[in-house]
Amino acid sequence: MESLLIINGSPRAPRSNSKRYIELFTQSFTGSYDQLQALNYSKSTVNVDDYSDILLVFPLYADSIPTPLMTFLKIMSQSPKTRQPTIHVLINCGFLEPEQNIIAVEMLQFYAKQFGFSFGSVLMVGSGEAILNTPFSFLVKRRIRKLAASIQTHNPLCQSVTMPLPKSIFLSASTKYWLTMGAKHGQTKETMSTMSIEKE
Amino acid sequence: MNLILSDQPLHFLTSLPSDTVVYDLSQQTIHPCVGCFGCWTKTPGKCVIRDDAPNIYPKIAASERILYISHIWCGGFDTPMKTLMERSIPVQQAFIRIHQGETHHVQRAVVPKEAIILAYGADTQEEQTLFKRLVERNAKNMSFSSWKIHFLSPDTLQEAILEEVSQWNHS
Repeated sequence: MESLLIINGSPRAPRSNSKRYIELFTQSFTGSYDQLQALNYSKSTVNVDDYSDILLVFPLYADSIPTPLMTFLKIMSQSPKTRQPTIHVLINCGFLEPEQNIIAVEMLQFYAKQFGFSFGSVLMVGSGEAILNTPFSFLVKRRIRKLAASIQTHNPLCQSVTMPLPKSIFLSASTKYWLTMGAKHGQTKETMSTMSIEKE
Repeated sequence: MNLILSDQPLHFLTSLPSDTVVYDLSQQTIHPCVGCFGCWTKTPGKCVIRDDAPNIYPKIAASERILYISHIWCGGFDTPMKTLMERSIPVQQAFIRIHQGETHHVQRAVVPKEAIILAYGADTQEEQTLFKRLVERNAKNMSFSSWKIHFLSPDTLQEAILEEVSQWNHS
């Protein structure tokens, strides 16, 4: 039976942007699916062999795959498999350029080849920390719908999306976003710009 | 300052250059980053998790030369080194700049550094090429002014570490 396992690979899975991306995805995906947080996998009894497809949803971390997802992937690589599930990727980074996600995607392609999985569709999101809160969210939603369709029809698709903004405008918008986040904790531009590391 | 970060014990290193600090990550308690962004928005420059990582990332920032000794997994740093890298984001600000034509985070007081990576466990050309491309990206975010990667087998690692540190002794 065809079924999809969706993995939230974010280190802050319960309150992550990845969770929001998954919510959008499941609005478009009409097949059966289960969800799992990579953070909880060691406690889980889920058997990946029950699934024909696995969708990994996660943020770029230090230019590659976040450690909770690495841990999940290592466990999954050792799971007995009677079939070859297809791995799909929905990755986002906070930078404007979705191409900054490419190395992480290629690491997963390597993983798939190394450990006997097929590799399917990819969606790389740039400006992924903020785009869902902007008028450009429709661009992401459109591509997520295409991602869902590609998984259901077994037609692998590689897509990318970001805010269609000049870098200078993105920088201003990003600064405003982070200042708002800092202000919630009483921080100012000056305090957030400190050059000190671990000093009072 | 010189810094050595290793994912395995280095008991055989008996002679170190002056101003050199060594961390054996297998003996450090470093919890995974929880993605709270506290080091950017709540306590800028400080991680809210008070384990061993806050002792190490200021030294990463201050080092002019850094030697990474790490197992490679699927073309990337394996979990011990990667966990430390993820916990080192307090050395960056939340704010974004344009660097080498791309958007990247502004660095705090991070010294440009020469990075040497002794990588083991990457046995195929494909994985080594992937790792080289990863480090090329890391360089933009970790202030590497230059970097060298040596791919090794576990049985040649000790010799390579001694050789590299010996060169530091003479430079």
